[in-house]
Amino acid sequence: MTEYEAVIGLETHIQLNTKTKVFCSCKADSWFDDPNTNICPVCCGLPGVLPVLNKAVVEKATLLANAMHSEIRPISYFDRKNYFYPDLPKGYQISQFDQSIGKGGYLDLPVPANASPDKQAYIRRVGIWKMHIEEDAGKTKTAGNRRLIDFNRCGVPLVEMVTAPDLRTADEAAQYLTRLRQLLRWIGISEADMEKGHLRCDANVSIRKKGETVLNPKTEIKNVNSIDAVREAILKEVERQIRETEAGNRIEAWTLEWDEDTNTLKKMRSKETEADYRYFREPDLLPIRLEDEWKQAILADFPELPLERRTRFIEQYGLPEYDAEILTSERRLSDYYETTVTAYGGDPKKVSNWLMNEVLRMINDQSLNPAEMALTPTALASILKLVDAGTININTGKSLLQKVQQSGKSPETIVAEEGLGLVSDDSAIRAVCEEVLAESPNEVAAYKGGKVTLIGWFVGGVMKKMRGKADAAKAKQILEELLR
Amino acid sequence: MELCDLSALELTLLLRQKKTSAVEILESTLERIGGVDGRSGALDAGALTEEDKQKVHAFITLTDDRALAQAQKVDQQISKGEDPGLLAGVPFSVKDIFCVNGTPSTAASRILANFKAPYTATAVARLEAAGALMIGKVNLDEFTHGSSNESSAFQPSPRNPWDTSRVPGGSSGGSAASVAAGEVPLSLGTDTAGSIRQPAAFCGVVGVKPTYGRVSRYGLIAFASSLDCPGPVARTVTDAAAMLQVISGADEHDATSAPTPAPDYLSTIENGVKGMRIGLSPDYFKITYPDPNTGELLIQPLPAEIEKSVRQAAEKLAALGTEIIEDVPMPNTRFGIPAYFVISRVETASNLHRFDGVKYGLRTTAPVADLTQMYRQSRKEGFGLQPKLRILMGMYVSAAQYSEEYYKRALRVRTLIRRDFETIYDPNGKYRLDALLTPTTPTTAFAMEAVYGNSVLMQYADQLTVSSNHAGIPGISLPAGLDENGLPIGIQLLGADFCEDKLFRIGRAYEHATENADWRQVKPQVLR
Repeated sequence: MTEYEAVIGLETHIQLNTKTKVFCSCKADSWFDDPNTNICPVCCGLPGVLPVLNKAVVEKATLLANAMHSEIRPISYFDRKNYFYPDLPKGYQISQFDQSIGKGGYLDLPVPANASPDKQAYIRRVGIWKMHIEEDAGKTKTAGNRRLIDFNRCGVPLVEMVTAPDLRTADEAAQYLTRLRQLLRWIGISEADMEKGHLRCDANVSIRKKGETVLNPKTEIKNVNSIDAVREAILKEVERQIRETEAGNRIEAWTLEWDEDTNTLKKMRSKETEADYRYFREPDLLPIRLEDEWKQAILADFPELPLERRTRFIEQYGLPEYDAEILTSERRLSDYYETTVTAYGGDPKKVSNWLMNEVLRMINDQSLNPAEMALTPTALASILKLVDAGTININTGKSLLQKVQQSGKSPETIVAEEGLGLVSDDSAIRAVCEEVLAESPNEVAAYKGGKVTLIGWFVGGVMKKMRGKADAAKAKQILEELLR
Repeated sequence: MELCDLSALELTLLLRQKKTSAVEILESTLERIGGVDGRSGALDAGALTEEDKQKVHAFITLTDDRALAQAQKVDQQISKGEDPGLLAGVPFSVKDIFCVNGTPSTAASRILANFKAPYTATAVARLEAAGALMIGKVNLDEFTHGSSNESSAFQPSPRNPWDTSRVPGGSSGGSAASVAAGEVPLSLGTDTAGSIRQPAAFCGVVGVKPTYGRVSRYGLIAFASSLDCPGPVARTVTDAAAMLQVISGADEHDATSAPTPAPDYLSTIENGVKGMRIGLSPDYFKITYPDPNTGELLIQPLPAEIEKSVRQAAEKLAALGTEIIEDVPMPNTRFGIPAYFVISRVETASNLHRFDGVKYGLRTTAPVADLTQMYRQSRKEGFGLQPKLRILMGMYVSAAQYSEEYYKRALRVRTLIRRDFETIYDPNGKYRLDALLTPTTPTTAFAMEAVYGNSVLMQYADQLTVSSNHAGIPGISLPAGLDENGLPIGIQLLGADFCEDKLFRIGRAYEHATENADWRQVKPQVLR
């Protein structure tokens, strides 16, 4: 049997999270707005209007280009892409064509063992073919025999990013999108929510015999609104192409649409010829001149990227891959972890355990922003130190997390105010120990008869009487002495 | 002499001296319009009557209510002792290619006949903010596509006030005609290849094409975005300078507007021309055009009268102390029109995409099977011949397989034309000119219907003006005499980027030196 491999390239449209649209001062995001309420003469393309570039769009696109290791062009241009469609009010889309902001680039994609055909983790380098700024079009909806248009989305800033056909499995494609989404949020340029259309993906899919290097005719899959759907759609399409090829049929360059309800692909149209968009330079806008000073200002606080940080956490803090993955899933969480480690100065793995178990649960349950929690990294570090010093026990420490978060007080203050500190005064503990033994003659007899495991039961009794504040080790030592 | 025959600055002076009121000025203006303009341009206007043929027909829409409200406001400000603005009480007309809030903004096209703009063009807003009274919207070639005004969907199209059997020029024909006939002292026009200067020359008035970026294009319904320049039409150089001063300056709504502040032209306009260097170029005393059958380039000298006007003007200026430099080479002038043909068509085909019957303007009422048919039918019914021709040509030369051969080549030619000008204005170069003095047009106003229909010939009316649009530099057309038929002859001054101040100084000096010339005393036919 012939072995095939899939050849996949992804075209993504990334909605930038600027306050205003790319060429006018309308609000960029219309998710909660009624149709055609967030529009103006400029984004509706009325006669006589002109676009004026929102600089924040250039800044965010520059951050992305830098993150993708693209060459950032010092001068790039806008071009008009001309075509007729009712939701494109000017009859052309302002885009970038041959001299766009980013040139080339790549993403090194770690493919985990469970997404790998031979269960070995590996790195796939995905090349970037195109990266340009453009304006979004509106939305068209069919209602009976009428077409309704919502122009709210016109002029929303997008970056279109197209990968080389470097992806080889549906899992890799899904991984790419997962990593891209993580990256976009990490550098703060997009909400990257696929369900809300902040991140849109079309997949170009073809197959070839393993070992070949030719590119066969591809199909384009559109309208896939989640990462799972992308994976599933590609899987189905690869299967179909293999089936057709095995049956001796030619693969036609179709455009396919993913139907979410039935999980099937439907043919939208044949694509015999490439449309001619008659691109030419947009005369209404000046070139983008990304002078060194501006570029440096944009990139001044450029963060360490998630995959780099993940590697560093493993190496520097000796974290298991699992921990490092979770702790770099989101930038603020990751910063929180590292700040805590620094403030604490102890075992980084211990910080990881506390964070991943207790703190992350709090964050998720209460939808907290790690950067704005009352339980700051310093507070968490203090709690860890209190536990280490034996001032409080672990359970008290854990209960302190919530108390600090709710009250905003420091852990030390709460320990003092509520008297949560451990009692390590011998005589106080000794008195309670004697009390417990006096109240439990049967257990004392059993212990003396050889059932020494009862010591834990006695310690529990002491802790109960002292409402958890006793130093358990000390209590045990005194009890053993009294029972001797 | 009526109030409406005074210049803009004369009117504001009378107003400030409380010798008249803005309302009185407006009344005089409306009376003049009533007397000379005839019926306004309209769709499906029917046959022309003999009376129609005697009238100017500059206007499409009168906005007298708007003007009256503004006039009353100005009068109030004056009575309260407030500053009403540099152009207070001065009536002006606006080429109907500019959007003005609440008024029909038609571009002289059927496709926009029912379009009322919801916002106001920057240049118009600035004029109103300076106290000027917008009296109405004037006719033009459809979407500014022409040099005679005959292509307007709104007929009767404007006629030349000097001879109503002739065209006023175009595309700002309504602007030039309304100024020449004393209907307004000022008009806002646009110049893409000569569309202000050519009609100004034909109608014996002053027309200015400012440096590209000097005046915001916001609200100007685009023809060729990289060439379009809004600018003044006036009866005197000083009025034109005052108007440009008001409409100039950076605009946050136009990314291509120049950030340099609007200069005070009026403070230097009387400074004279002593020591200035003015060039004459042989390349502007001939026209080069292709034989329609063979494509061979034919060269024709300009009519002697026109060349003579330019040379006489040069002598006058020399007498005032300028140095005249002869034989300045402008070798790429002859490529101006072919390059313009390509660039303007590509841009306009794209700019006209938005008129699709979906959002505003004309949508066909014919039954259509689908969206594509609706587009086709609406555009077929809505656009006149000129836009259609230009869309076809623009689509053709921007197609992927032809773009290199035509469009990109035209852009390279444009660079060469720009270089011609850079060379002559270079302060360290051989010529070091302050201005180039040329004829504005190869002919005086031609008869109605004489050229219309010959797109190529019509286009060559712009040969002497188009290069400055390619180069982005400023130009001014000045009245400089009458030909043997009593028709105005225009001369043109072309300057370096943002040197409008020098053009105004030269223009004003020339105007002053010729103020007693016989031809200056002759009135247009419609005012005799």
